[in-house]
Amino acid sequence: MFCFQCEQTTRGPGGAGCATDKGVCGKDEATADLQDVLIHQLKGIGQYVSRLRGLGVADAPADSFILYGLFTTLTNVNFNRARFVEMIAEAARLRDRLRAAYEAAAKAAGQQPEILAGAAAFAPADNVAGLLAQAKAASVIVGREEVGEDVIGLRALLLYGLKGVAAYAHHAEVLGESRDEIAIGIAHALDVLASNPTDLGGMLEEALALGRLNFKVMETLDAANTGSFGAPSPHAVRTTPVEGKAILISGHDLRDLHELLEATKGTGINVYTHGEMLPAHGYPKLREYPHLAGNYGGAWQNQQVEFAAFPGPIVMTSNCLIEPQPLYRNRIFTSGPVGWPGIRHVANGNYGAVIQAAQALPGFTKTVEGPALTVGFGREAVLGAAGTVVEAVKSGAIRHFFLIGGCDGAAPGRNYFTEFAEQAPDDTMILTLGCGKYRFNSHDFGTIGGLPRLLDIGQCNDSYSALVIATALAGAFNCGVNELPLSLVVSWFEQKAAAVFLTLLALGVRNVRLGPTLPAFLTPAILDILVSQFGVLPITSAEADIEAALAPRIAAE
Amino acid sequence: MSEITLITRDGAKLGLAAAPTETVLEAAEAAGLFLPAMCHEGSCGLCAAQVTQGDYALRGGAREAAPDGAIPLCLCMPQSALTVELPYPQSGISHHSVPTRMAEISGISQAGSGAVILTLALRPDPEFGTAADFTPGQYMEVSIPGTEIKRAYSLTNLPNWDGTLEFLIRLQPGGAFSTWLAQTARPGDMLSLRGPVGRFVLDETSPRPRVLVGGGCGFAPLLSMLRHLADFQDMQPTHLIFGANTEAELAVAAPLEDLAAQLPNLTVCCAVWHPEAGWEGFSGTAADALAQYLDGDAGQPDIYLCGPPRLMEAVMRVANERGVPAARIYSEQVQAR
Repeated sequence: MFCFQCEQTTRGPGGAGCATDKGVCGKDEATADLQDVLIHQLKGIGQYVSRLRGLGVADAPADSFILYGLFTTLTNVNFNRARFVEMIAEAARLRDRLRAAYEAAAKAAGQQPEILAGAAAFAPADNVAGLLAQAKAASVIVGREEVGEDVIGLRALLLYGLKGVAAYAHHAEVLGESRDEIAIGIAHALDVLASNPTDLGGMLEEALALGRLNFKVMETLDAANTGSFGAPSPHAVRTTPVEGKAILISGHDLRDLHELLEATKGTGINVYTHGEMLPAHGYPKLREYPHLAGNYGGAWQNQQVEFAAFPGPIVMTSNCLIEPQPLYRNRIFTSGPVGWPGIRHVANGNYGAVIQAAQALPGFTKTVEGPALTVGFGREAVLGAAGTVVEAVKSGAIRHFFLIGGCDGAAPGRNYFTEFAEQAPDDTMILTLGCGKYRFNSHDFGTIGGLPRLLDIGQCNDSYSALVIATALAGAFNCGVNELPLSLVVSWFEQKAAAVFLTLLALGVRNVRLGPTLPAFLTPAILDILVSQFGVLPITSAEADIEAALAPRIAAE
Repeated sequence: MSEITLITRDGAKLGLAAAPTETVLEAAEAAGLFLPAMCHEGSCGLCAAQVTQGDYALRGGAREAAPDGAIPLCLCMPQSALTVELPYPQSGISHHSVPTRMAEISGISQAGSGAVILTLALRPDPEFGTAADFTPGQYMEVSIPGTEIKRAYSLTNLPNWDGTLEFLIRLQPGGAFSTWLAQTARPGDMLSLRGPVGRFVLDETSPRPRVLVGGGCGFAPLLSMLRHLADFQDMQPTHLIFGANTEAELAVAAPLEDLAAQLPNLTVCCAVWHPEAGWEGFSGTAADALAQYLDGDAGQPDIYLCGPPRLMEAVMRVANERGVPAARIYSEQVQAR
């Protein structure tokens, strides 16, 4: 096993990466290796899809399989070895079908079909031991001695960024939104990776192209979410229990939440959100269900504590799952790309078993009153108040904007983000998104000109909304985003953040502060490029970074 | 041993003791307290807490301190009395204090050859509702009403939400529970139970093939495990060796027929020690059958073993002689009483 895709990967004197029998995330060696094999196959599938697209042929099931397959390999998504064995067999069948389709389409167009080698020609073994033996050749670090660390690092940046792009595209797709250009872009990136690229400049260009593609994906996801459930609007979310039977839903998948709300309608069971599902309360068509009772708990890394204490079943959609503790193993359910061996999976929106569990378990025995969290400051809500905001900036009531967001995690260095938000001066506005917000969203930040100082834009999935807000503000001030009194302070953990990071680079957003540590797969040479060409800044201390952000800007910045 | 005091965020104090080579996390688990933890190697930060008093060593040697001074409890080995402040409330600790539940007998039926299937319906409980929450392979301690007599029996069914518990019990002539079950117990009678308990459960993250070996009442937990594998449409090769003294004892294995139909990768060997003439299956003990199986093309299996002491010894010997590492053998002893 070798994996260094997330922020918490092992970092030691011998270099970074989880390379023992189990990753820091809990992913065991066999699962990690089988994921590598699946990724290798997806590259091969990408080679054919890309060529088919070149001939004007679209293959929707293949596009869909690529998104789902890549999503299962994100950090804290699928730990179920058996599931990967199934998907590898499915990928082999799909590749065979695509090869035949490509050869037929090429001939029909009067062309000689290419005979593809490498990933496209990979023949997976028909047993687990054989697959595990093949995994070494599919590893992200294969060929490191020959091509060097920088090439491996940029390939990793491409692959991990692509995983994030695919995850967001999958979220949009389950709500019925997909675009040809997205499928084409993703297949192209896989095709590039399949070619084992070694040209650093070319790979950097591909990474930026992926960032631009991700902007399109995020826009599509925004259209899927707002199209399905309305534009988010400010809403105070209950954070304390209501007496009665209860189901907790975590992760990002709004379609799953909607299906669960439909399935539990009239049962008397209350549904609570957890982690990244909190912003769901901002959507009018989700909160119109009266049994969407509130939010319970905080960010993903607290789930072992919070799920154990929850008096009902738990549904984990999308990322981020960690090893279910014995105390709630039988009452946690996975959905979509998520999986853990021996944990029940909800398929095709069939929540029967979850409802049965909720009815059997005690639920909350009393109603407790407590503080609320206000969510729903999506692009429409914020731009609706743009006039007030622009006036406040002009009058000096708002000196600066901080966008503090991204993923949370357990690493101790993440208290930086709490300190940053709490120490930001009273005449600064804080925009946030992702689960990193739980580090500070229970703090009372007060208001400026009637607007809350802390505006919760939504999930990490809502990065598009943040970019639209920034662009609109730049428009109002007749300047570029980099000239705005705006600083981005981004906490990252997994590959969705890698995709958003590439988008920021591709859009030319400079001076992004990234923490708590920089990705382990970025070598000093790649970091040099990111720092010198894109102004990426590693975080230092909250105090120093706030001071630097508020300092008058010099012309070169 | 060093005294450890854990103080939760809401001020609860929990005491435990640790040997100098044991981590706080391990000592807590041994005491039935499961603290949040993920990587078990000091990287993820999930188990990190503030040590406010006492000396400790870090497994794997000294390392750079975290910015907030928190210590990963998965590496922290107390070298003196230690006070640890945990960053979560007491509700964040999984207490494996074993629940006590009440249940009503819903059925007693003959399973052949002196064994009965006892079915219970759990009474709703404030903490657990009607859930029958356990892991296949675990057992419950059942008390005879109005007495101090308790017996431990493995569950044979699957965890469920309607509170059904099923046991396969071999009646022991003259045994206290057996006599009560055969002569006095009636549907509708109430029993008190303590459980689930036991760590004889499947390691579902293992990629290896499995061999399940059961003799006598040792078949019961294996039956629950097999039902679980069937329920999850498990595809890993699994070989069951069911040891019986006589062919008549094979009657309790009747559910295997259905399970074999649901588990395409399940193979079954019924080993009969003293067969009648005309028996076409394996003649010998479960240990003999395991020896034959391991001498064939068995791969590197995990072995799950449950049975009476003599069978356990014989099977362990066979496995040891064939170089199966102890870490790949999961076992639980049953004692006929």
